[in-house]
Amino acid sequence: MPVDLDNVSTASGEASVSSSGNQTVPPKPTTKKKRNLPGMPDPDAEVIALSPKTLMATNRFVCEICNKGFQRDQNLQLHRRGHNLPWKLRQRSSKEVRKRVYVCPEPTCVHHDPSRALGDLTGIKKHFCRKHGEKKWKCDKCSKKYAVQSDWKAHSKICGTREYKCDCGTLFSRRDSFITHRAFCDALAEESARSHTQTVAKASPESDSKAVTGDASPPAAPATETPAPPPPAVPVSSQSNSVVVASSVLQTQNPELPENCSQIIEEPQANTAMNGSCSSTSTSTSSSTSNSNGGASSSVFASLFASSSASATTSLHSQTPAFTDLIRAMGHPDHPADLSRPSSSEPISLCLATSHGSSIFGTGAQERRQYAPPPQPAMSATALLQKAAQMGAAATNASFLRGLGIVSSSASTSSGQQDGLQWGQQPVEPDNASVPAAGLGLGLPCDGSSGLKELMMGTPSMFGPKQTTLDFLGLGMAAGGTPGGGLSALITSIGGGLDVTAAAASFGNAEFPGKDIGRNT
Amino acid sequence: MDDGEKKEEWKWKKIGEELERERKSMQKTWRSRSRSSESRGGGGEGEGEGEGEGEDEGKWAGKVLRECAKAISERDSKKTQHLMWMLNEVATPYGEGEQKVAWYFLQALFCRATQSGERCYKTLTAVGRKNESFEAARSLILKFQEVSPWTTFGHVASNGAILEAFEGEGKLHIIDVSNTLCTQWPTLLEALATRNDETPQLKLSVLALPLPVPSSLIKEVGQRMEKFARLMGVPFQFNVISAFSQITKEALGLQDDEAIAVNCVGAFRRVQVQERDNLILSFKSLSPKVVTVVEEEADFSISTQEDFLKCFHECLKFYTLYFEMLEESFPPTSNERLMLERECSRSIIRVLACCGGDCCEIRERGVQWSQRLTNAPFSPTPFSDDVLDDVKALLKRYQPGCWSLLLSPPSGIYLTWKDQPVVWASAWKP
Repeated sequence: MPVDLDNVSTASGEASVSSSGNQTVPPKPTTKKKRNLPGMPDPDAEVIALSPKTLMATNRFVCEICNKGFQRDQNLQLHRRGHNLPWKLRQRSSKEVRKRVYVCPEPTCVHHDPSRALGDLTGIKKHFCRKHGEKKWKCDKCSKKYAVQSDWKAHSKICGTREYKCDCGTLFSRRDSFITHRAFCDALAEESARSHTQTVAKASPESDSKAVTGDASPPAAPATETPAPPPPAVPVSSQSNSVVVASSVLQTQNPELPENCSQIIEEPQANTAMNGSCSSTSTSTSSSTSNSNGGASSSVFASLFASSSASATTSLHSQTPAFTDLIRAMGHPDHPADLSRPSSSEPISLCLATSHGSSIFGTGAQERRQYAPPPQPAMSATALLQKAAQMGAAATNASFLRGLGIVSSSASTSSGQQDGLQWGQQPVEPDNASVPAAGLGLGLPCDGSSGLKELMMGTPSMFGPKQTTLDFLGLGMAAGGTPGGGLSALITSIGGGLDVTAAAASFGNAEFPGKDIGRNT
Repeated sequence: MDDGEKKEEWKWKKIGEELERERKSMQKTWRSRSRSSESRGGGGEGEGEGEGEGEDEGKWAGKVLRECAKAISERDSKKTQHLMWMLNEVATPYGEGEQKVAWYFLQALFCRATQSGERCYKTLTAVGRKNESFEAARSLILKFQEVSPWTTFGHVASNGAILEAFEGEGKLHIIDVSNTLCTQWPTLLEALATRNDETPQLKLSVLALPLPVPSSLIKEVGQRMEKFARLMGVPFQFNVISAFSQITKEALGLQDDEAIAVNCVGAFRRVQVQERDNLILSFKSLSPKVVTVVEEEADFSISTQEDFLKCFHECLKFYTLYFEMLEESFPPTSNERLMLERECSRSIIRVLACCGGDCCEIRERGVQWSQRLTNAPFSPTPFSDDVLDDVKALLKRYQPGCWSLLLSPPSGIYLTWKDQPVVWASAWKP
């Protein structure tokens, strides 16, 4: 069953911030969830700019008796009670308190702009500290540094307990060994070669399936079979064109770079969404952009077997971020063409396209590559490495599927499922039935192992929705991306501050406090 | 080689008793001598070399080798022959540590006695080259990094100093004059990718002398680096320079807005002694933000006959430590370890038997390098606490109790193996 996304975000170690701040629509119990984009506050909210000093200040409220400091006046007041001093708790004056949003004092930061303000005080504090503060908390074991003490604590708990696994099968307990190995491992070289050939082979099927998707989707919308109303999903499918998908992904992924986004997104509608139509009005665009899991989850749940384009889109949707990062990381707009050999840069991006098994995104990805914004400064490179590993697996899988028409071997199920859904739209495809089965992770030994791999690597929460992991745990097999949220929360709560997890969170969500983790998943 | 069969045939047969007797008596005298010299300082200067190992009965190779070297320097051919014969009976490159040390040093002493050092070195190099491949070099270096901080120590220290010097810079250019095939750079690339501010552009100009590094190999390495940098999202350019003479602003194509760092790991010792100051001056002419220098800590400066014994002792001491380190770090049957030992054997011949020729390898200690750098003038930059913490964290993961960090202000830090400084790392600014 769908998992409450708020729980997801609070469960994840770093995501201790309530998201109510900029949520204009109260979360509906389970099925239909509406979340605003990170850093897209309610336009009516009161914008507050705090000074760096205030943001960095700890324990501003000091007890005059014992000099104990507190972060909140309320806490000091409660403390004063212990000294038998007069104390007074502020009461909430009315229910109509105006919402407050906070901007980052750093002028170069995207959250300096009131339109990108963050929804709560703790969030902005952590943001400021993480992104613009000194990393003064250092892990004894691996000497990784953190700006926020809680991040550091979370990391310290699990540092060294995790292993990194390269595509080639080698396990590493140390991050830097893994990094060095990864750079020199043949797996990295083979990956691009492999996907290159694969792309050549797939080039024409790709465009075929694109046509199928585009035409067949709207009629296949699963409204009739869905117990809960799936409004968010329908618009997605009805306008399933690459621009919308791309924009939503970019937006989720890369909120720091609005200028780049608008450069890329040509469709005005998508643009609107980006510029903050995150308000309560549930327009089709805003829901498609804002609900990478939540909104569409119900329909996915119901319509997994219906071969609906809606679920296809959703799984696409949930998968996309992982690869978008890579695209972004790999394309260097500011990188003169002569710096890199075009022949070798090509395969990687092509690989991205194919591993989705989706023509919608495939095209989008390739187009977008040219505009891909420069990588964000705080991305977790380790996460990237591991994504690359997953990407490799997905690419293999796609080729297996296409080539043999069966799901086998070490195929990543998530991609298997996507392919299956795509195929489902093509009535002639005989293997239709077997593919969703693979998606469910039934009786395929390798699913377990790939799930295990992700677990061992402490899958960053943004990978949560990958069905590989789902299958491993046997959670919500048919429920598309949503249970992924639960799993990712689980993983995150296990490894709240892991290098990768923490970094991926800050990467995926860029500037936002932890609460945004849930959104990407 | 025929030594294997020969050994089986002869071992302990004809000269067995004599050998045994000889060895025992030598060990006895040596032990008593080392006890009396226990109180000597740690400097390791002069004649008292290596006697710290005296309490260990198994350490016979050093003793016999020293005797042999002494005989050679005294031109006592009878004694030399006798000792060499004896050594040849017990030494083997496939045995335990002492036998290996004996084998490789015997080889060098023999070359010296017969003045065939250069030829032997060239033969060994050619043989080594036959087996050279990217795969072999990669597994060698990565495996070594995994089991020992010998190379990673310098990498972490240098990368730390470079990253700090590059703080806030947008266009970076590293001139890499080192012998580690870029294995230092992935972690730096990762650090740049996760840097707080904008990800900078990085140019890496790697000096790959055609002799030690075949061009196919460096090409392969360059491709990996490019691919990896792309994965990390760091705009990257890889250049190869093939001679020290190309270390000029023009040849490197330095731009005014680039921040320069020169990374010099195990490079100085490959440069002729008279060229060393010029090399440092050429670094200076690049106006780098930082120059990082990492060298193994040993003084192999021989030119005259009297120096030979001193140099021999120094060399023996250094490689005894090194072999011991290899033995304790690697599994017994490691192929990588064998390759490393063969590399050592070439180096030992260069140090001891090439007599100042082109092949001759002359190493200097950290203090000597420091002097040269200070003359340039460069000024030493202490590693920051953060970098030192990184290094300590690194050492913690290796064999406990063996490795430690030794500060030597103002210029640099030492990696020590069982309290003996073995690698020196330092950072310099113009």
